[in-house]
Order: sequence, then structure tokens, then C-alpha cells
Amino acid sequence: MEKSSHGRFNQLYQRWMDWRLPARDRIVLRNRRLFIFPTRAGFVFFGLLILLWLVATNFENNLIFGLTFLLAAIFVVAIFHTFFNLSGLSIEAGYTPPCFCGSLAEFGFVLSQRGRRYRDNIRLVYQGESNISLALPGVERVEVSLAIPAPARGWFKPGRVTLETRYPLGLLRAWTILDLNLQALVYPRPIKASVWPQGSRAGADGNMELVDGREDFRSLEKYRPGEALGRIAWKHYAREQGLHTKHYADPVDEYLWLDWEAFPGLDTEMRLSRLCGWCLELTGGQALYGLRLPGIEIAPARGEAHKNRVLKELALFGLSKEGGD
Amino acid sequence: MQPSWQTPRTALWWMLVSVCVVLALHHGHLPPWLLVLALVSVGWQVQIYRGAWRLPRTLIKALLGLSCMGGVILSYGRLTGLEPMVVLLISGFLLKLLEIHHRRDALVVVYLAYFIVAIQCLFDQGMLTALNVIAGMCVVTAALVALFQYHEPSRGKPGVYWRPLRSSLLITLQAIPLMVVLFVVMPRIGALWAVPKPADSGTIGMSDSMSPGDFTDLGADTKVAFRVEFEGEIPPQPALYWRGLVFSQFDGRTWSQTGPWGYRDGATMQWYGEPAEPWDEQISRRGEPLDYRVTMEASNSPWLFALSTPLPQSRGAALTRDFRLFYKHPIGSEMQYRVRSWLDYQLEAGGLTRWRQKMELALPDGFNPRTRQVAEQWFREAPDTDAFIKRVLQLYNDSFVYTLKPPALGKHTVDEFLWQSQRGFCEHFASSFVFFMRAAGVPARVVVGYQGGERHPSENYLLVHQYDAHAWAEVWLPDRGWVRVDPTAAVAPERIEMSFADLFAENEDFLSESLLALERYRHIDWVNRLRLRLDSLEYTWAKWVLGYENVQGDFLLRLLGRIDPLRIGLFLLLAGLIALTPVAVMMLRGREKSHRDELDKLFISFCRRMASAGLSRRSGEGARDFARRVALERPDLAGEVVAFASAYEQQRYGVESFDPAGLRGGLRRLQKRLGWRI
Repeated sequence: MEKSSHGRFNQLYQRWMDWRLPARDRIVLRNRRLFIFPTRAGFVFFGLLILLWLVATNFENNLIFGLTFLLAAIFVVAIFHTFFNLSGLSIEAGYTPPCFCGSLAEFGFVLSQRGRRYRDNIRLVYQGESNISLALPGVERVEVSLAIPAPARGWFKPGRVTLETRYPLGLLRAWTILDLNLQALVYPRPIKASVWPQGSRAGADGNMELVDGREDFRSLEKYRPGEALGRIAWKHYAREQGLHTKHYADPVDEYLWLDWEAFPGLDTEMRLSRLCGWCLELTGGQALYGLRLPGIEIAPARGEAHKNRVLKELALFGLSKEGGD
Repeated sequence: MQPSWQTPRTALWWMLVSVCVVLALHHGHLPPWLLVLALVSVGWQVQIYRGAWRLPRTLIKALLGLSCMGGVILSYGRLTGLEPMVVLLISGFLLKLLEIHHRRDALVVVYLAYFIVAIQCLFDQGMLTALNVIAGMCVVTAALVALFQYHEPSRGKPGVYWRPLRSSLLITLQAIPLMVVLFVVMPRIGALWAVPKPADSGTIGMSDSMSPGDFTDLGADTKVAFRVEFEGEIPPQPALYWRGLVFSQFDGRTWSQTGPWGYRDGATMQWYGEPAEPWDEQISRRGEPLDYRVTMEASNSPWLFALSTPLPQSRGAALTRDFRLFYKHPIGSEMQYRVRSWLDYQLEAGGLTRWRQKMELALPDGFNPRTRQVAEQWFREAPDTDAFIKRVLQLYNDSFVYTLKPPALGKHTVDEFLWQSQRGFCEHFASSFVFFMRAAGVPARVVVGYQGGERHPSENYLLVHQYDAHAWAEVWLPDRGWVRVDPTAAVAPERIEMSFADLFAENEDFLSESLLALERYRHIDWVNRLRLRLDSLEYTWAKWVLGYENVQGDFLLRLLGRIDPLRIGLFLLLAGLIALTPVAVMMLRGREKSHRDELDKLFISFCRRMASAGLSRRSGEGARDFARRVALERPDLAGEVVAFASAYEQQRYGVESFDPAGLRGGLRRLQKRLGWRI
């Protein structure tokens, strides 16, 4: 019973937050989004003021009254300084590279301002676990990344992060809660498999399979816009035979298949982890590899783009693909 | 133990500067061992920072704490009292430096520093101290800023050390208007409980007894005792007898006050605002009263000074049974009180009861036999009391000398003074005169206080110095009550006519101890003017700052028309908003103003200057092209123009940081080349 009311409250709070601080790709911090309240140190400072006031009253000492009021006035002035340390700042999500489950997702943020106000000591905090301090020392723009542990594969959406500052005196904390639609692609946790992926002879007919490469000339094809100029067969062009490009191929003797079926008896995550481990092992090597998952097949290839494609399939296997780049 | 939190370098630096500030402010009342402790803890803290030493263990900290307690007991003999407590507090502050595990520990150090800096005002309330204390607060605030600023992972530029101080100065300056508003408006309630007062300074000025025979050297103290502001004209010098204490008891050597048990008709104090005591009927006040406000300097005694016959008009003051004023506690710092005095008065004219007669006639046996004999004889020979008094005063007038350095006297002080040395000052004259009167059966007593004062030439107030201290006599005559008789006036009438300092300005005994006192050079005109200017500044300070609670009511009444919570609240709100406007404006401008705009403004101003020299920028011509063209046309300007244009370009589009001062300097140099013709 209690749990459900707690859940209800949480739901209401979330709805209120969505209304109060709606998600945006770029957020400019204005009055409506900023909160400010004394910190614990600020309340202790109040205590100091009361103590000084008592001393001044009991000793009937107007100078100490004056100093008490000076400190009180400093507190009030600090409200402005703290508030304006954030106010006017704009913040947007920056580049976030994919990461592996269990490691840290480095969410990029870009903080920028019109003008070059000196903004000192601002912190980005995620649920009290991760934080990073930054400053805009008279610059218009600064990029930072906040590392948050990635809990599971797939699209990791950490939700809201807090941007706060206690500058200059630590008496007050101004903060805002940002929903920047943050997301990071998390690949499965890589596990090195004890077996090597099953190879298959290239081509059932025993011929050497050729894949796009750069060693052996294979064919001359009609030029398509966008192809590299270096591949154009200028000699043919000079003979007025039209614009063609040269295509080469590398001979390969086998494909490697990262195959879902290679790990019978393991559960989904363990299989994906091992496939991911294989993929990382093969990257940078000469081998061509393909991916076979239930319902998905990626033809063998190699290179960075291919790796990313494979890893993305592994990351999102069985999950909703919503929230792509 | 290794600290889990490393104090940032700049914060550590400013905390150590704060330690120096605390020690410097309190240097007047710190025992020498505290300096050793300061060196130990600062040195240790620096070593911790460098990673060479560890934080001290609990045992060492406990030992250090105990030895501080021991040191306080050795230095003061006790742990209570203001000075020992302040020294303990500073020791704790220094020891806390060795206990910084987290940022909150550093915060404790900073907050303690705030408190200790402020506490200095308990010991001294001068203007200079106030400025020093505010400067100290700025340093402590800088330490606080340093704790909360962003710290570059790498070692920053040398400028980072000054940034916290710059922020702190800015914040303090912005806070000062609001502080003034709060100071003016916030109500002061009286002391809630008794507190220890600074003990080091003994009684300043008046002592509560008088021993004329002892060795005395008068006229060394140039301090101001009090200042008086009259609502009308300042009365003439001979009328200014500032009654302070009344001595009715004499033990042969020392005159002292009668204790409260000496009087038997009601309480001896009639507090302001409370119903009159029965003896109040014995005061007959006549004529127009005189209203004035007295600003007392710290005296560490409760006596207030007023013209006869006074009635206090301020809280905490009382009229006593012997018709002088008294304050509820010793005056440890400057304070103000108002008095209403009737210069035309009669005291106890209705007659003295027997016990009163006995009190005012009592003389110790076995002292001054010759005086007693002469007194009785002269009283018999005189037709009436007036003639008798006249004859005694004539005696003084004939052969006595007023001097600031009289010889010391033996057992029979009055005999020796009257019939042998015949040299002395007011105390000797008053003491011997009262003795003479009492010996003849005329009730008499000694009154001490101040006489005269110095009129400030431009400000309308009277300055009474410690050297204006005076003693005179009061005799009781039937139907006339207590009548003031000043035997000193019989010897040196000019002492009463002129101010004391004017009288003795040329006398080498006067202020012979204080070579540096401005008072000593008052015959030099500009020194005197400087002295009076300084004094009026000090008086303003005392009246408007140190004694503000005394003028607050009047001031707010004049400002607001009426004092009620609503008006005060509204005024506080309005004035507070006005006081904060500059801060808000500064902050908003800083936010909206782009440096690009400012850069462009500077560039436009550059173009205008060039145009006035006949070199207009063509539309669409970039800064660099324009500069190149100008350099060709006017090679004499080439250096400045190219330098400005490239600096502008770098800052506007390139990576160089914004530097308006540099650009303005470039513009100035260019203008110099062009010559100042617009």
C-alpha cells in the first residue's frame, strides 16, 4: 500500500517536473528554471550572525552590530552572485560516444553564454554519484563530459542531471534540473569467449571469394556521383570511353561468422557478451566477419563502420530501437 | 592520517593570511606563547600541504589543547573573563588548522576567523580599528571565496591568488549600502545578560576617592573625558561645574563617598522613568532648564557628569541622593546620555536632619589639630558664616600658590598644606577648605568632577578633557541649602575663567610627560586646527556610530515622521531595494553585454578617429585591409594602426582573450600620434 502511494507520488513528481522543467535539446537558464536556497554552510552562517548579534547586544557595541549587518548584507549580495553565476547560461547535450556495459558513459555537454561573464565553479551532478566541476573563465563556450556508469546494454537514458553552483561563498546553492534527452548507446559487456568463431570456406564452390579491397583489380564500372576521384579510370576517360571507376578486390579464404548459435545453453546476455568480445578481437585484423542473430544477418565485412554496425545490432538486440541517432 | 580532502592552494594561502590578520588585529592582548603556537600550526599546515607531514594524531592535539589551557592560566591566572576567553578562542582557531579533513573543517576555520576578527571591536572602537576590522573581514571573505572557486587541475597563473580577494572586495563593497540601511533601521534592545568587560584598562579619569597628601602629578592626561552638545548656547565657563562624585567621608588622609547605607530616607538612586523618591522634594528647581547631550568616553566607572542640579533623561541613568548622576554599570565603551539641568537651584534648603548634620560634619580624631583650633577661633570671631567663609578664602588668596607639582604631605595633610607648604592644586584646596568648615561646625563636603571645557570653534560642542578634572567644596547654609564654594578660584581665578589648557599652555609642567600629544602644541595655530578637526571627526564617529542607539529614535522620527512597525518595515524594504539596485544592475549588465559589442564599439571609435584624420574606412573594407591602406597612405601611423587592427581582429575572431584595456591603450597611442585635434 505504502509502496503504491510512494509510486503515485513519484509519478506526480515526474509529471510536475515535466511541466516545470520540460525537456529541451538546448536549455537557456532563466529565472523560471533556476532554484536557489541556502546550503547547510549558509545556515551555519546564520548561526554566526545570531551569535555576533548577541555579542553586539550584550556588549552594547555598535561596531559589532555594524559588522553583523555587513555579514548579513554579504549574504544577501551573495544571493545575486550565486544566482547570476548560472543565470543566462545555455546548455546543450554534446557528443556522447558509445560505451560498453559496465564502463562509464561519457555524456558530453556544451555550456555557452552570450558575452564573457566570468562564471566560476559550476557542477554537473548526476544523482549524487557522478559529478564534474567546470568554470567559464571569461570564455563563451566550454565542453565537458560527465561520466555515468552504464547499467545495461541498449539505449541508456540517464534522464535528468543537476547543474548547480555554490560560488562565491558557499552560503547558497543555485541549481536547475536539466532534461536534455540524454542518451548513450551501450554495447554489451564484452566477454572473451573460450572458443574461436566458426569459419566457413569462402564460397561453396571452392572459388576464392573476393571482397571489396585494394589489392587485385576486379572490374571497371560506370562512375556514380560521389565516388572517389582517385578511382576514376582517367585513361578510359581520355579515350572518350566515358567516366568509369576502377574496382579492386582482396582475396579472402574464409568468412568468420559471429553466430548466435555458437553458444548453446547460454542466455541472451551471455551470448551477446561473447559475440561482442569476438567482434572486438577481430577488429583491426584482416578477417572478414559477419553477424548472425535470430532474424538478423549482417554480411561479412571489416572496418570501423562495420564494427559499429555489428556492435549496435548487439546492443539493441531484442530491445526497442527507438531513440536512434 | 592523511587528509581525505586537500585544501586548494589559493584557499590555504588566504587562510594563512587570515591567521596573520587575526593575530595582527589582536596583537595588543595576546600572550607571547600564542605566537609560537601560531608558527607551529601554520608551519605544520604548510608541511601537510606539501605532503611532507601528516595531520597530528589525537594525542598530540590533546596535548596542544591542554598546553594552551595551561598557557592561559599561566598568563591570566584564570580561564574566565574576556581576555582569557578570547585567547582560548584564538588558540582553538589555530589548532583547528591542524584538523582539516574536509571542506567543512576549513569552513569552521573561516567562520571562526570572522568571529574573532569582529570580537576585536570589544577592545577598541576607534575609527582606525573599524577600518582594520573591515579590511580583515575582506581577507577572511577572500579565504571563503577561495574555498568555493574552481581550481584548475594544473597550477594556475599567479593571478589566481588575487582573484578571491577581488571577488571579496567587490562583494563587500556591494554589501556596504545594505549594511548602512540595516544599521540605521534595525532596533537595538538593551543587554540581555551581564557580560565580562575588557579588564586590562583600569579606571580612567575619576577615581572614587581622593587623597590630596599623596604624591600627585596632574596634567598629564590629554584624553577626552566627554563631549557635550547643548541644545542652546553653551553657558559661560565659570558656570560649567560638571558634578561627578561627592565625598563626605574623611579618614584623615582620604576622602571617599558615603555608601548607600549612609542615607536613611529611601533608595539612594532615582532611576530615569521611575517614580520620584521622597528626598526629591528637597530639590527646588527654578528657572529655565538647560538640555544637553553628553557623549562619554569609556571610563570603566559608572559616574556620569552633569551641571547642577541635574535630572537624567536617558534610560539606565539615575539621580543619586547626593544629587549627581549614576549609570547602571561601568562605562566600558563610548555611550551617550541626555540631561536636563537647572542652574538655579536649592538643595536640602529645608534643613538637614540630625543624622545628615552628623554625616556632613564628621572629622576623624587626631588629625590636623592646628586647623581645628584656628577654625573654631575664626568662627567665633566672625559675625556670620558668610564672613567666616570669606576670611578663609582670603587666606588662600593672600599667600597660596597654585601648582601642578605640589610637594607630598605627611600625616596632618591639612595642617601641613594650610600653614607650611601652601602650594597645591584643586584637591588640596577643596580638602583643606572642607576640613576647615567642618572643624568650625559648618556642614561641608567635597565634590569632584570636571570644570570648564574647550569650545569647539566650528562645531557647536564642548570638549572636556581629563586634565579638566577638578575638585571643589559645597557648604550647607541654613535656608540656602548646599552652596558651591570653589577655593581654587580664590587662589587662581583664571583657572575658572579660562579653560585649563589655555591657562597652562605655556607652563612647562603641563603635559610634560606626553611630548607627542597634539595638546602640547596647541599654541601653534595649524596644529591646533588639526587637533580640533580630528576631534570633531572623532565626535561624529562617537555620536553617529558608537552611540547610535541614543540618536536612533530622533533620527528615525525625523526621517519617517512617525515610528511604527509598518513604516519601519516599509522603509527597510524600500531602502534595502535601493541599496541592492547597483548590485542587480551590475549583474544584469554583465549578463547581457557581449564583449563583441564592446569590441565593435572600440573599433567604431577607432574608425571615427581615423576619419577625423581624413582616412575614412570604405564600406565593406575589413579591419586588416583598412589598416594596410592607411599604412600605405600614412606610414607615420602604420605601427599603431596595424597593431590596433590586428589586436582587434585577434580578439574579435581569433583565439586571443578579450582585453579592452589593451585596445584602449592602442587607441590612446594612436590619438597621440594624430595629435589632439578633433
